[in-house]
Amino acid sequence: MAEQFYTVASDSETTGDDKAQQSFPDVAIGIDIGTSRCSVAIWNGHQVELLKNTRSQKGMRSYVMFKDDTLSAGVTGGATKEHAHEERDILSGSAIFNMKRLIGRMDTDEVVQASKTLPFLVQTLGIGVRPFIAALVNNMWRSTTPEEVLAIFLLELKALVEMHLKHPVRNAVLTIPVAFSRFQQTRIERACAMAGLHVLRLMPEPTAVALLYAQQQQQLMQDNMGSGIEKIALIFNIGAGYCDVAVSATAGGVSQIRALAGCTVGGEDILQNVMRHLLPDYDSLCDNAGPTTDRIKSMGLLRMATQDAIHKLASQESTEINADLGNGLKVSKLLSRAEFEQVNQAIFEKCERIIKQCLSDAKLTPEDINDVILVGGCSRIPKIRSLVLGLCKKGDSYGSIDDLEAAVSGAALEGAIASGVTDPSGSLDLLTIQATPMNLGIRADGDGFAAIIPRNTAVPARRDMLFTTTQDNQAEALIAVYEGEGEQAEENHLLGYFKITGIPPAPKGAVEISVCMDIDAGNVLRVFAGVVKPQGEATPPFMEVRMPTLDDGHGWCGQALAKMYGSKLDLAVLPKKLHP
Amino acid sequence: MATFATSRAAVMGSARPGRVAGPRRCVVTRASAMMAATGRTHYEVLGAGAGASRVEIKAAYRRLARKVHPDAAGGGGDEGFIQLHAAYATLADPDERARYDRDVACRAAGMMMRRAAATSGPAFRRRTWETDKCW
Repeated sequence: MAEQFYTVASDSETTGDDKAQQSFPDVAIGIDIGTSRCSVAIWNGHQVELLKNTRSQKGMRSYVMFKDDTLSAGVTGGATKEHAHEERDILSGSAIFNMKRLIGRMDTDEVVQASKTLPFLVQTLGIGVRPFIAALVNNMWRSTTPEEVLAIFLLELKALVEMHLKHPVRNAVLTIPVAFSRFQQTRIERACAMAGLHVLRLMPEPTAVALLYAQQQQQLMQDNMGSGIEKIALIFNIGAGYCDVAVSATAGGVSQIRALAGCTVGGEDILQNVMRHLLPDYDSLCDNAGPTTDRIKSMGLLRMATQDAIHKLASQESTEINADLGNGLKVSKLLSRAEFEQVNQAIFEKCERIIKQCLSDAKLTPEDINDVILVGGCSRIPKIRSLVLGLCKKGDSYGSIDDLEAAVSGAALEGAIASGVTDPSGSLDLLTIQATPMNLGIRADGDGFAAIIPRNTAVPARRDMLFTTTQDNQAEALIAVYEGEGEQAEENHLLGYFKITGIPPAPKGAVEISVCMDIDAGNVLRVFAGVVKPQGEATPPFMEVRMPTLDDGHGWCGQALAKMYGSKLDLAVLPKKLHP
Repeated sequence: MATFATSRAAVMGSARPGRVAGPRRCVVTRASAMMAATGRTHYEVLGAGAGASRVEIKAAYRRLARKVHPDAAGGGGDEGFIQLHAAYATLADPDERARYDRDVACRAAGMMMRRAAATSGPAFRRRTWETDKCW
C-alpha cells in the first residue's frame, strides 16, 4: 500500500533529482506540541522548513473544537475564513486546550487541580485516577481525554504536512518538556499512534534547541575556520505550560547534554496568578456559581483581557485593564510591571531554582557559559530575561536562534538525522548525546527511594545495584520502579512493579538481589532483577521488564500495594561498606 | 538463558560475587568492571596516551562518540558507547582520573600474580579495582 502511495507522489513531482525523491518519504517530521501553540517542520532536502497552515501561521493554536458532530483542531482553525475560530469561541467551553498540561496526570495532581479554572470541564474525584474532561456541545458535556484531543490535533497536523509534501507521512520526532514522566511519554506515543504517527524520538525541548545550536556552531567553524573549542550553552525554555533548562557542551558537531532540569511552570500559571490578582473572588467564579454558560463566558473574557495585559507588560511599564465580565462583574485596574512581578514572584523563584540546579549538576559556574539561549513564549517577559541572564552573568542572550521556532527546527533536524539522511554540506553531520532528566530507581529501605540511574546520566546507560531481604526466609520481593527527585518513593512517579519469587530461604540480609536498569539509545527503559546470592539449582531465572508497565498511571497503586503487603516484600539497599 | 548461566558462573567464581551478575546486557555493568571484561584500559578505549590533557580526552571522546554511539551512522549497539562514556567520565574528572591512575598502577603490580592464578585455576577470577586491595 505504502509503496503505491510513494509511486504516485514521485509521479506527480516530475522535476527535482530522483535521489532526493526516493529518500524523502521516510524522513521523520519534527513536531513541537506546545501547551498553547504547536508547530511542525520538515527537512526539505537542504534545510529545515517550518510549515504554515491555511491562515499562514507557523505557530498554530493548540485546541480542538467540539461542535455538533464535527471536530476541528487549531491547525486549520475552523477551515474557512467565515468559520474561523475566534479566541472567544475557543474559550466558550466547546474547545479543549492545554492538553499538554493534562495528559498523563492523575486527578490528585495539583496541575490538574489548577486546570479546573479552565473554561471547559475538568472534574476530579481526588482518588488518583485520570480526571474527567468534557467539552460543552449544545449545552451538554461531551467527554473526551487529553490523548484523544491530542490525536485529533495531530491528525490535522499530519494532513497539513501530507498536503504540503504530497506523500504520506509516518514518522515523527516530537519535543516534550523535561519534566514529563515516562508515563506521560507513553501517553504522547499513544496519541501519536491514534493519529497514525510513529514516534521515532521524543526529545526534551531544550535538547532540540541544543541540536540546532550545534548545527550553527558547526557551520560557523566550517565558514571561518573556528577554533573547534568546546562551547557551553545554557538553554532556558519557558512556554505556556512548562519550563526547562539544559546545559550542553558542543564541539565538532557533537552536542553533549551535560544536565537537564525542568518543572511544570509556565505562562498558564502566570495568567492564573494575574487573573486572581485582578479578580479576588476568581475562584468562586470558577466554582459552579451561576449558570454554566454565563460563568464560562465571564472566565473567557477575563482570560482574554489578562492575556492581553501580560503581553503589553512585556514592552510597557504599566497597562490598564477594563473588562466587563457580564452579570455586573467588572474589572478595572491599572497594572504595573512591578505589581505583575510581585504577583508572580514564586514562579520566578522556581525558574531560578532549576537554573541553579542545572548548573550545579553540570559542575559548571556561570563563567563557564559561552552562550545563553532563551526560547519559548514566556522568555519574552523582561523579568525572566533579566533573571536568566543575571544568573548566567551575561549581558545578552544568543541572538541567532528564533525563540519560537528553535525547538521544532531542532526536532526536524533530529528527524532527518535519525532517518539516516545525509547532506553533502555536512549540515546533518551531528550527534546529540542525551542525558536522563530524572533519577530512576526502586523503593527500598521502607518507603525510601534508591536511585539506580541518577539523573543526568548519559544515554544509553546501564547501572545496577544490590539489594537484600528485610525478613527471615523471605521468599518474594517486590520491585517497585519509580522516577523522580523525591527522597521518598511515593513522592516520585510509579512506573511499574513486579515480584521476584522463589528466593531461597535465608536469614534476612543474607540474600543478594541485583537490580539493573538499562536505557537504550531509543530511550526505552528495561529493568532486570534476580537473585545473585545464594546460587543453586533452585535459583529462579532473572526477570526482564520493560517500563513503564502501568497502562493507566494509577496514583493509588503504591498505596494499594502497601496496604496489601505491608513490609512483607520489602527490600533494603545492601550496605555500601561490603560493596564499595 | 544460556547467557545467564555463563555470567552467573563468572560471578560465582569471583572473589566478590554479585556486582556483575544478571543477564547478558548486564554483564558489563560498571566502569571499573569494564576493564576486566574487555581487557582495555580507559586510556585504550579513548585511544589516548597516559599523559593526555583534558582537552585531548574530550576531543577523543567526541571523535569516538561519532563512531560508536548507536545514533551515529554506522554506530553499533549500546555497549561501545557505554564503555566509551565510562572511560571519558573517569578521565575527564581530575579526581576520578587520579584515583583511577593509582588503581591501575596498583593493579600492574598485582597483574603477574593474578595471571599465574588465572592460568593455574579453572575459574576465571573477575575482580573490580576498588575491592582489590593490593597493598
